[in-house]
Amino acid sequence: MNQLLIRGLALVAIALCFGIPALTYRVGTFSNAGPGLFPLLVSCIVGLIGVVMIVRARFERVESLPFKLRNIFIVLAGLVGFAIIAKHFNVVGAIVYLVFVSTLAGSDYSAVRNIKICAVLIAIAFALHAFLGLNLTLL
Amino acid sequence: MEILHNLAFGFEHALTLQNLMYCAIGCAVGTLVGLLPGLGPLSTISLLLPMTYSIPTDGALIMLAGIYYGAQYGDSVSAITMKIPHASSIVACIDGYQMTRKGKTGLALFSAGVSSFIGGTVAIVVLSTLAPALGEIAFLFGPSDYCALILLGFLCVGFVTTGGHMINGLAMALVGVLLGSIGTDVNSGARRFTLDLAFLADGIGLISIALGCFAIAEIARNLDSRSEFTPFSGRIQLIPSWTEFKRIIPSALRGSAVGSFLGLLPGGGPTLAQFGAYALEKRFSKHRAEIGSGAIEGVAGQAAADEAAARTSFIPLMSIGIPENAVMALMLAAFIVKGIQPGPNMIGQHPELFWGLVASMWIGNCFLLVLNVPMVRYLLSVFKIPYSVLFPCILFFCCIGTFSVNNNLDDIYITAAFGLVGYVFLRLGLEPAPLILGFILGPMLEENFRRALVISRGSFSIFVTRPISASLLAITAAFFVWQISAYARQALARRASLPATHKGL
Repeated sequence: MNQLLIRGLALVAIALCFGIPALTYRVGTFSNAGPGLFPLLVSCIVGLIGVVMIVRARFERVESLPFKLRNIFIVLAGLVGFAIIAKHFNVVGAIVYLVFVSTLAGSDYSAVRNIKICAVLIAIAFALHAFLGLNLTLL
Repeated sequence: MEILHNLAFGFEHALTLQNLMYCAIGCAVGTLVGLLPGLGPLSTISLLLPMTYSIPTDGALIMLAGIYYGAQYGDSVSAITMKIPHASSIVACIDGYQMTRKGKTGLALFSAGVSSFIGGTVAIVVLSTLAPALGEIAFLFGPSDYCALILLGFLCVGFVTTGGHMINGLAMALVGVLLGSIGTDVNSGARRFTLDLAFLADGIGLISIALGCFAIAEIARNLDSRSEFTPFSGRIQLIPSWTEFKRIIPSALRGSAVGSFLGLLPGGGPTLAQFGAYALEKRFSKHRAEIGSGAIEGVAGQAAADEAAARTSFIPLMSIGIPENAVMALMLAAFIVKGIQPGPNMIGQHPELFWGLVASMWIGNCFLLVLNVPMVRYLLSVFKIPYSVLFPCILFFCCIGTFSVNNNLDDIYITAAFGLVGYVFLRLGLEPAPLILGFILGPMLEENFRRALVISRGSFSIFVTRPISASLLAITAAFFVWQISAYARQALARRASLPATHKGL
């Protein structure tokens, strides 16, 4: 896919996401602006830039778009899981989960190394709790 | 005399045992994190910002400033030894790395350290003499002038951070403005774009965006490229000969002057300053023929400019309250978190903070010189930590950093969401730095825009009839026209060269 085209489409999508809801707020006049006026103006400019990029994409050389979704999703799964486990159980479990899941994205996987990383991070979590008053359920 | 008195007052505050400790910790941690691949000053500050919440205001700001220039020094070390640059150390890669290849790593690091010290010292003189005067000028600024200034800032930062693709930078800044409008509208109390979620009523946290777009997106990119960082194993001989030392001084002084000036401009700062100083050395240095193939001047000039600009870029922030680049935008966030609004009144209202910070910059400089230059050979062992160990740790610190802002684990979801957004932007070739700037300045832009239009009863003429805003808008327009004409020329040149290549084939 053409990078410029997707860039333009993404900007138009963002402009629509903010511009359409902005119309539902009171827009008002320039001398008495409502909450919707400023976001609407900015969305219009963003949308315009997006359209310019889409048009430019027709005339410029195509740059392919490299996307590897695997790694980013593993990292995000690690973060979201950390939040869930830390909230409902404890931070130690969350650290173990984060380390073992996120390292799946690395080039090599070693359980022994992960255990060592967990040990260091758990020690850091305890230190943060003791010295900076980090307010989390550790155990 | 008054300046000396003020500086003495600043040193009185900065030289307390507690503040000295914060300064030393900031410099050391900043250097250490700055050395790590993939982490520049911006991500280092965003990562460590939450850690300063529980520290007293003056200590926290001194520590953050220490982290900032520590990270910059760390960056230049990784650029010189490993050719791993960040925004503020791109030029250090040229001659610095060439010197490493000639076996002169120690000399390059020493030149960079000493020049940074000289650059920092010159900049502090500029800072202490100019900042109060600029503070006075800031009182002349009305709402429309602020709008024009912010717009110019967007363009400049967009231009600098995206490597000349101003339109991309502008688009990102405006997306940041839109994100900044999420939450409760201060004028009417209406909730905007909150999707009826209670935790969005106060808007999105800056730290979530900064960590998501920088740290997490960067990790995913590094993992995608399977970057292998070879550990450094060369020998480092630090002390130069007298003839070599003499070559450092003039270049460092030239670099300091360029850096101090470029640091003042919106959108300037270290990134621009290092290129300016390098160009100047290439033109005026006695040894200009050697520059590019590992000359001391090539390292000294840019290092001094880098450091000088890093310090003078505090002037627009502290005297008019406008951050001129993304790092300063994060510093602005740190000031606001601590309940201080940088602006013309800051120097008057919090003199101990302002002068303490100025004095601590010089102390930080000494720390960098005394602690870090000899320690560099040990610090380089950080490179021996493989990335597969490093990145889970960075993720953990991201989680802790996000949590510690509001003591709320739900914020990690927002950070994760912005991690995805940041990754998509990165892959689309859109820089996240202007987005952060837009996010921070967005509410200010809206407030001043609405205020200006209320004053003028809805007429846009206020933007062109006031001299300050008219001149700023004229500069913005000229910049815009210059960019468009440059683009058009490029397009024409491409079109002209296309048939020629076909003929050649």
